[in-house]
Amino acid sequence: MELDEFKSGWRNAGNRIKSQEDLEKMTKLVNHPVIKRIKTRLAIQIVVLLLFLLVYYDWFDGDQKPLYANLALVTGLVLYVLNDVVGYLSLMKPVGESNLRQSVLDYLMRVKRLSFFSLLVTLLYSSSIVIFFTSTIVFTKEKWLVLLFSTVIVCQLIILSSKLWSRWIKKLNQQIKDFDVDDNRTA
Amino acid sequence: MEKQFLQLIHDHQEIIYKISALYRDSKEDREDLFQEIVYQLWKSYPGFRGASKVSTWMYRIALNTALAIYRKPRLKIDHYPELPPKLHSLREESISENEDRLFEALGKLSDAEKAIVALYLDEFSYKEMAAITGFSETNIGVRLNRIKNKLKEIIK
Repeated sequence: MELDEFKSGWRNAGNRIKSQEDLEKMTKLVNHPVIKRIKTRLAIQIVVLLLFLLVYYDWFDGDQKPLYANLALVTGLVLYVLNDVVGYLSLMKPVGESNLRQSVLDYLMRVKRLSFFSLLVTLLYSSSIVIFFTSTIVFTKEKWLVLLFSTVIVCQLIILSSKLWSRWIKKLNQQIKDFDVDDNRTA
Repeated sequence: MEKQFLQLIHDHQEIIYKISALYRDSKEDREDLFQEIVYQLWKSYPGFRGASKVSTWMYRIALNTALAIYRKPRLKIDHYPELPPKLHSLREESISENEDRLFEALGKLSDAEKAIVALYLDEFSYKEMAAITGFSETNIGVRLNRIKNKLKEIIK
């Protein structure tokens, strides 16, 4: 079978017509399947973190902690929220009209940048919480163990997150390789 | 502007359908990609001045969206080493057998090869294909030959 024999099948595909009303709904961000989910999760996260910022000082004795611990906690939380917002805005960015290879390259750069900042911010955020809650603690053997256990859990989460990002980056790298390998062969 | 856009997309929506079917396996993922492409076309529409053909503009955005946009994590789909004869019964009933087999065969190509073959099947020139994909024109020819051989093996 020749490739040209696929042409009639290709031409006839896609006759399942969507109405203009259906198409119109698809142009609205509010109906976007993926972004809607991300937006809801982001909104919940921001509300919870902001509420925590409002109450932590009274509930967790912020006034009895040193200034550096309060600053660390607030900075960690604000960075976390900012990183989420930047990630969301980055996803909102429309695809470019450059060629496919360039587009995948640009996307790879964006994902690499996002992954770096996301992991860094998670690390800073986790550290800020530890700094805040341990700043006035008199450590006993048990408390050291709890701290060690929490640190291990946080490290595991960061490693897991880093693996997910790596898998995504690896796939994009493979796509770039697909483009480049063939160009090198014909060059 | 919205009315014009909707008419344009309505008239050429088979391009979006085909790219969605080519790059996604499940019905749900195809629907998501279809919607994503329509959304991206809408965002890009103000910049479309009609300097290129509508189909060129739509393919460019649709392919860029399929390859370089956030995709939700999904379960790994195992491909059959060969096409099962009753493949159509394994997938949604609304897709005809021929169309199903066509997309199953094309689905075994790499993402870059899928882009080339889609443009070839819609009769774009090598020059247009090179501009959309970023390959050189010579490379398009070389890759098309390899794709033909690969597809012969797949449908043997």
